[in-house]
Amino acid sequence: MLFVVLVKQVPDTTEVEVDEETGTIIREGVPSVLNAFDEFALNEAIDLKERMDEDVEIIAVSMGPPQAKDALKKCLAIGADSAILLTDRVFAGADTWATAVTLGRAVKKIGDVDVVFAGQEASDGNTAQVGPEVAAQLGISQLTFVADIEKVDKESGHIICKKETDEGHVRIKAELPAVIACMPEPGFEPKIPNVRDIMKAKKKSLDEWTFEDLGGDEEEYGLDGSESVVIRTYSPPPKGEGIKIEEKPEIAAEKIIEFMEEEGLL
Amino acid sequence: MARTKLSDDRDLTEEQKLFKESINDWAERNFPLERVIRINREGHPFPQDIVEGLAELGLIMGTVPEEQGGMGLTWSDQIVIAEQLGYIDPSIATAAGFMAVETGWGFTINRYANEEIRERYIKPAIQGDKFVGIATTEPKGGSDVAGFESTGEKDGDEWVLNGEKTFISGVEECRRMGGGYWVNVRTGPKIPEAPHKNMTAFFVPIDTDGVQPQEPYDDAGRGSLSTSGFIMEDVRIPDEYMLGEEGKGFYYTMEGFDNARILIGASSVGVTRRILEEAADYIKERETFGRPLAKYEGIQFPFVERYIELEASDLMVKKVAKMQDQRYDEEGWLERTGKAKTYKPTEIAKWISMIKYKVPHLAKDTADDAMHWLGAAGYSSEYIFETAWRGVMSYCVGAEGGANIQKLVIARETLGKDYIPYK
Repeated sequence: MLFVVLVKQVPDTTEVEVDEETGTIIREGVPSVLNAFDEFALNEAIDLKERMDEDVEIIAVSMGPPQAKDALKKCLAIGADSAILLTDRVFAGADTWATAVTLGRAVKKIGDVDVVFAGQEASDGNTAQVGPEVAAQLGISQLTFVADIEKVDKESGHIICKKETDEGHVRIKAELPAVIACMPEPGFEPKIPNVRDIMKAKKKSLDEWTFEDLGGDEEEYGLDGSESVVIRTYSPPPKGEGIKIEEKPEIAAEKIIEFMEEEGLL
Repeated sequence: MARTKLSDDRDLTEEQKLFKESINDWAERNFPLERVIRINREGHPFPQDIVEGLAELGLIMGTVPEEQGGMGLTWSDQIVIAEQLGYIDPSIATAAGFMAVETGWGFTINRYANEEIRERYIKPAIQGDKFVGIATTEPKGGSDVAGFESTGEKDGDEWVLNGEKTFISGVEECRRMGGGYWVNVRTGPKIPEAPHKNMTAFFVPIDTDGVQPQEPYDDAGRGSLSTSGFIMEDVRIPDEYMLGEEGKGFYYTMEGFDNARILIGASSVGVTRRILEEAADYIKERETFGRPLAKYEGIQFPFVERYIELEASDLMVKKVAKMQDQRYDEEGWLERTGKAKTYKPTEIAKWISMIKYKVPHLAKDTADDAMHWLGAAGYSSEYIFETAWRGVMSYCVGAEGGANIQKLVIARETLGKDYIPYK
């Protein structure tokens, strides 16, 4: 069985600052990390592999600049069997759609993939679009907000997952192959690779694929292939100081109603 | 305000970057600064979960060859680990100090030990199940390594050891976890003009009959790692527990010190970096007379001076680690030709002494400065500075070699042997 895990290297979100004049994210000197949602997806893939009786291969795939290799190295240390970096100037400036085109082509080229794991979203853009768009590119099932994978059964051709909803969880079954967008539950702690894992990862394969490897027209990729245009990135204005009411529920309710009436909200 | 970061990892290998990331992630979950401070206040016993964490992460004795249970890391790799442990544990005792003792001396014991010692003590120590350490200092002194008085007498296929070792790191931990010490004894007459000769090294399990551990000292810092000693009274050690060859203990001991001192230098870089980052966050925020403290030259200039010293020290430590890697890579050459291919061990020892002298002092002085910059807050255990100050002071006054001994080594290698003060 073959699993592909799509990962992205993102700026460490605790460090991100926005340039007040240009409205763009300041990336210079900002450390990059593996997107936490993707790390969860990889942990899920490894956990599933360990629970399965049959042989499973896990390939981590990322689109990004050469330094995104660091994120893939981490995937190899955590437990991916091999990794592929999709890197080319042609891929630069891609929005979610063009990213999905690139990733989808890579998954097709790998071939015979049973499950594509993705993080629900990336902590830099938070669009949550790439996973579903890859599924659309490939024309296969998509499951989003996946908190846990119960089983993957190649014989029956199904995957069964626990999906998070506003009301709680639902158990959902889909046909293979499938793209699953994984959403970590609170308290999730990813596996920390140890020195032995890291040194073993040095011997695993990490290939680089360019536009030449994926084929198609240049216009389908990167900025040219993007359907959306980013005009400006900015931090929303601060909400201002809130009002904290520390009373018994019935008194607090009265005070809230009183406040809303005063503000003309009722 | 974003937290101040003073590290630049772009010159590290991808693997070294991941070592740092894993250590940071582990510390964030298990060993935040508040716990570093608390553990050092509470004192030993050393927290077992930290030993287990270090072992699980593969941070102990990484330089031991893979086929002998280690990870086959280079010294250039191990200093990255040491620096980051100093960064997450500026007390330099709990994570950093433990790793330095175990790795510096464990690696060297492993080189000269037989298979039985490797299987029974080294491999379990790498797994965090046993403790191995060094016991050189005696009641009459520690810096005069060749001036010791403990003796070893051959009796059949055993050696009978007598004497006393004091100010030894980790005796309580060794008692609790099991393990043993590298112990030097005199196995031949003392030669006045060459007192370092006839010194022989043995591995002495802590539970051997006749080994009497003493009560721990109440140290100023390094609270979590015990310091005490033990008396040896007719301790019978099998011939096979001799480390290396009879009479060569002094040379092996110097090699062990070299390895441990590199790691202390590297950890002290990490301590200094953390102190400067923590202090920078404070002085940028805290305002007096309408301006942040960081705007006053009286504070930012000494800050910058310490930062320059930090980066210079970092480069020195990296240079020294490369020299040590070359030393072991070229070992066969030295044995075959009798000449060093690149660096003589004494030249490397000079560089190691330079970092062992400079960097712990830098860390101590930077903590001292930071306490001045923060005032009363810096003096309190709310911040890491006083814990770091008390911890690194240990490596200034004597642990792994006193400050003036380092200067003697450096003077010997720069001015020449004719100017050795004690000859």
